[in-house]
Amino acid sequence: MTALHFTEEQRDCLQELVNVAMGQASDKLARYLATMVHLQVPAIKLVDTQQLPQHFAQRYQQQSVSLISMGFFGDQGLRGEAIMLYQLANVDVLARLLEYSDDDSSEAEMLTDISSVLTTTFLNGLAEQLDNSFSYAAPRILSSRDQHFADKLAATAQQWQLALQVDIRYQLTDYSFHCDMILLIPGEAVLRLRQMLDQILANF
Amino acid sequence: MQLDWLLQPLLSQLNSGVLVLDAELRLVFINQFIARRADLQPEDVQGKSLFDVFADVPQAWLQRKLQGVLALQVPAFSSWEQRQYIFKLPHLRPLSSDSQYMAQNCSMLPLTAPDGVSRYICLLIEDATDAYVYQQQLQQSVARLQLANRTDGLTGVLNRSYWQQQLSYEIQRAERYQHPLSLLLFDLDKFKQLNDRYGHLGGDAVLVALCARVATLLRDTDLLGRYGGEEFGVILPETDLTGAMQVAQRICNAVAGQPMHYEQQTIRASVSLGVAAFTAGQSTDELIQQADEALYTAKRQGRNQAVAWRPVNSEYLKKVK
Repeated sequence: MTALHFTEEQRDCLQELVNVAMGQASDKLARYLATMVHLQVPAIKLVDTQQLPQHFAQRYQQQSVSLISMGFFGDQGLRGEAIMLYQLANVDVLARLLEYSDDDSSEAEMLTDISSVLTTTFLNGLAEQLDNSFSYAAPRILSSRDQHFADKLAATAQQWQLALQVDIRYQLTDYSFHCDMILLIPGEAVLRLRQMLDQILANF
Repeated sequence: MQLDWLLQPLLSQLNSGVLVLDAELRLVFINQFIARRADLQPEDVQGKSLFDVFADVPQAWLQRKLQGVLALQVPAFSSWEQRQYIFKLPHLRPLSSDSQYMAQNCSMLPLTAPDGVSRYICLLIEDATDAYVYQQQLQQSVARLQLANRTDGLTGVLNRSYWQQQLSYEIQRAERYQHPLSLLLFDLDKFKQLNDRYGHLGGDAVLVALCARVATLLRDTDLLGRYGGEEFGVILPETDLTGAMQVAQRICNAVAGQPMHYEQQTIRASVSLGVAAFTAGQSTDELIQQADEALYTAKRQGRNQAVAWRPVNSEYLKKVK
């Protein structure tokens, strides 16, 4: 596992790329969602996938959480899975955010729609920073308002070696909306990502 | 190698629908998959608004998604699991599906023309009817299994485990909202003699007829279940002891008042009933115990009657034990 870990320079470089991508995403989303979107500078953390489920189980103690997954594929073997975690009291927040009328869409559809928008807008920016581009698989619901989401996250994370944990908190003018995003990246893709980061650092 | 020739035959033979829209959501292109299923001529629809050509798509929702694709330049998706279809298109499995329209997965992909300015959207439609049909069949099987899992095979009333589970739910509800709740246990009189005289099939037929007759006397919210071989229970929510005794008396009269028929034979049957009303703090077992004691008293007093539980009953039973 240590072989996959990033050097401090690589980590800082990735944090910078994520910051830029997040800034761009925040700007685009604010216009699309027609509301002030304040995105905190995301704290990125590279973690062993084995530790992930426990981490999130602690954070969302006993609460029901919805998990949405979206696969992404880039050039040069860069690929992975983006997981969004939501803990929502009701779906009105989502309906208002998406400007859907309440009876138009199911909760499941709103969750996959917002996940798709948030994930692809950010990842497209990140791909651009890496001089790459991503294609995506349709979002799917891993768990819906489920107390056993940690088990499902564990089952998903097991296939991947390294997780890039990006905590995003969306602050909107009249209500707060929060979700976590985790990028799960397989071992070979991590090695490719390190090479790309080294390339960027060399050109800097 | 020059591959331009490839595009048209590929698009026309592709087993997925392709629609291309411009930034004003006008149709630029549809492939044969769409044209044939929607019965359209590709050249007739060119330049027309998507929502004019396909008037029954969910416009507000789709427009919002397509705006997102254009504004954010990111793909959007729609799955049959959340929205069965966007376009009302026929599918090729009309007999095995209960839906007349093709279940669809749709990808909405942002495209930019070589000029670098003109934006387009490609809608890719995949037929997911097979998956939809399998899911429907699975859900039906699960529903059938759930029903089989809670009913008694012979009589069709609730089986003991499910009935008893419902009783504990009703007790919790009665406790929480301080509503009345009564329990009725009844037993076919001299069932062993019936079985000896008419055979086990005759005995079974009586049980089936008994349940059918009792069911007609109950409200939708009352729960009839088979408690043992020839012993049955009725949970009566929102019912006090007086009301429960009326129901019990009605059942008693209905069973004894009219004979049952089995293979041209007339069978006279009767039931004994024990009735108990829930009191706060009582457990499921305690309530069943009281109804059972009242039933025992009804039997001892000569059968074919309904008896309400009274504290004295149990005092008496304790003494004789």
